[in-house]
Amino acid sequence: MTARPSATPGAAGASTDRATRPVHVRPAREADIPALVPLLLRLKRLNEEFDPLLKVRDDADPQARQILKAQIADPKAVVLAAEGVGAEKEKVVGIVRAIVRERPFYAPPWEGVILDIYLLPLYRRRGVGEYLLDEVSAALKAKGAGIVTAEFPAQNEIAGRFYAKRGFRPVTSIHARPL
Amino acid sequence: MAEGVAAPAPSERPARRKSTPAERSAEDRRADQTDLLGRRAVELSRFYAGKIETVPKVPVRSLHDFALWYSPGVAEVSRAIRADPELAFELTGRWNTVAIVTDGSRVLGLGDIGPEAALPVMEGKALLFKFLGGVDAVAIPIQVGSPDEFISTVEAIAPAFGGINMEDTASPKCFGILEELSKRLPIPVWHDDQLGTAAATVAGLLNALALTDRSVGEIRTVLVGAGAANLVTARLLIALGHAPKRISLVDQKGVLHAERDDVDELSVRNPWKYRLALATDGGGRVGGIPEAIDGADVLIAASTPVAETVRAEHVKAMARGPIVFALANPVPEIWPDVARAAGAAVVATGRSDFPNQVNNSLVFPAVFRGVLDARARSIPDEVVLAAARELARGAERRGRTVHHILPTMEESEVFPEVAAAVGDTAVRLGLARHRLTHDEFLERARTLMGRPARLVRALARAHLTAPMPRGTIGRRRAA
Repeated sequence: MTARPSATPGAAGASTDRATRPVHVRPAREADIPALVPLLLRLKRLNEEFDPLLKVRDDADPQARQILKAQIADPKAVVLAAEGVGAEKEKVVGIVRAIVRERPFYAPPWEGVILDIYLLPLYRRRGVGEYLLDEVSAALKAKGAGIVTAEFPAQNEIAGRFYAKRGFRPVTSIHARPL
Repeated sequence: MAEGVAAPAPSERPARRKSTPAERSAEDRRADQTDLLGRRAVELSRFYAGKIETVPKVPVRSLHDFALWYSPGVAEVSRAIRADPELAFELTGRWNTVAIVTDGSRVLGLGDIGPEAALPVMEGKALLFKFLGGVDAVAIPIQVGSPDEFISTVEAIAPAFGGINMEDTASPKCFGILEELSKRLPIPVWHDDQLGTAAATVAGLLNALALTDRSVGEIRTVLVGAGAANLVTARLLIALGHAPKRISLVDQKGVLHAERDDVDELSVRNPWKYRLALATDGGGRVGGIPEAIDGADVLIAASTPVAETVRAEHVKAMARGPIVFALANPVPEIWPDVARAAGAAVVATGRSDFPNQVNNSLVFPAVFRGVLDARARSIPDEVVLAAARELARGAERRGRTVHHILPTMEESEVFPEVAAAVGDTAVRLGLARHRLTHDEFLERARTLMGRPARLVRALARAHLTAPMPRGTIGRRRAA
């Protein structure tokens, strides 16, 4: 990587009607890791449902721990924690993980890649997904990204529809076969 | 019945309560009897070579009459239907003909045995349809590879039928198939393993609640087993005003709640169960049956038949005078005497040899009689609940007791009443193309439901059906 965009704290709120939302999003801290790991693993196990080529590794738990620790400290990564509101303020109910990476041949040169968005089921809908997307997009933009992309299993039609509704379209396909 | 249940693995299962010699011999007798009935059924199936045949319903005075019943006269009938397809319900037998469709993927307790092996069961169902409901039902097991193929196959044959009865199709695919067919077809579609069992359960429960001075709005309910029947029972209870957050659904992984590990998997594989996981959120409980059942008013077990899935101590932990439905067949999750000894005020099972049999046959013939007579477009839950309420009233009229929360199959005067309630509801909901009055529905149902028994007797008297051959095996009713 060459000239890295300036790192600023993420989660700059582009959001409205926050009061009605059942969650509040903030940058994740190292202390959140024990609560974030199970959420991340839930998402990975869901991905496995869509495709056996996304089989979750036995050591996924320590891997998640290590990666979250590194990325929370990494200025070119964004890790957000969604927490409940009111009585559930202390409860971490969702995670967003994204990185900024360079596109050496294309413009704009910096791409914000949303790797994971996961919310516990009871905290979904009511515009929460959109709120998380806005927050992570703002954080990625602040880190210099000129384009935002999202990775999810090709079979996950719900995710496909979610992003399509918000102006995303397929750009690159990743096709796989086992060796 | 439903999917499996949180039964401990054999290695960790607590030592079985030792059966007394009397109980053992009773269980042995039941097993022997089931075996005898099975052998006798094979013998009789060979003798009669099927249970249903097609019989003309018009006179044939001479072969000349075929110029009316068939070509050339019949062409005019076709032209009339071409001009107005609704006339098929008046000029053909469509008004009273139902397809019994199955892919054979979950037949009785036998599992995925395929369409050919499902045929004797579907023939038996056709016999019940005719004998109890006066409905001409055609057994149609189909060889299909996917739910989409199932749906398009049924859609393709629908023009011949006034209704579709799905049968013995595995959960959860049965939910999606039923939803999609109900959307696409202009005729009522029913899945008996979901709706029939749930409606009979709700009917019995309404009387059990009345007997124990409870109302559905305030009870706590534990549903053990989260297959076709119990998922619909939960939905119907919520429609009746049961607080979703006071329902605990328990399956083989324990209490189903919104943060259970497999809940995302369910969102993909079984959205119906997923929705209930969110709506009930475990009824505020996590864990298994012991955690869920503490203080519950009602237990409805509809699981895989594993004896002692529910144990006496579970019933003892319930609220005072609890209601226990143990619906697995042939072995209930808890034996009625054990449940009563543990304090249960009302007990129901799926078996005909105990009081309070929760039996689909109490429901589907009358529901079909009602929707066919109303030429209803569909069977929404309001109609199912109307059938359940009327069934409950039927038992009440005869005298509601803890041993009589549901009519028995012999109390057949109830069934036309249920059919009329179904017809009335279809009219009220604007789903009926044939808007009869209550008395008209009732009269029609009585006539049509009463006729087949007379027909069967007349055929026997005329020696057109062979008398039951004496077998090597004792003759007993298999119903």
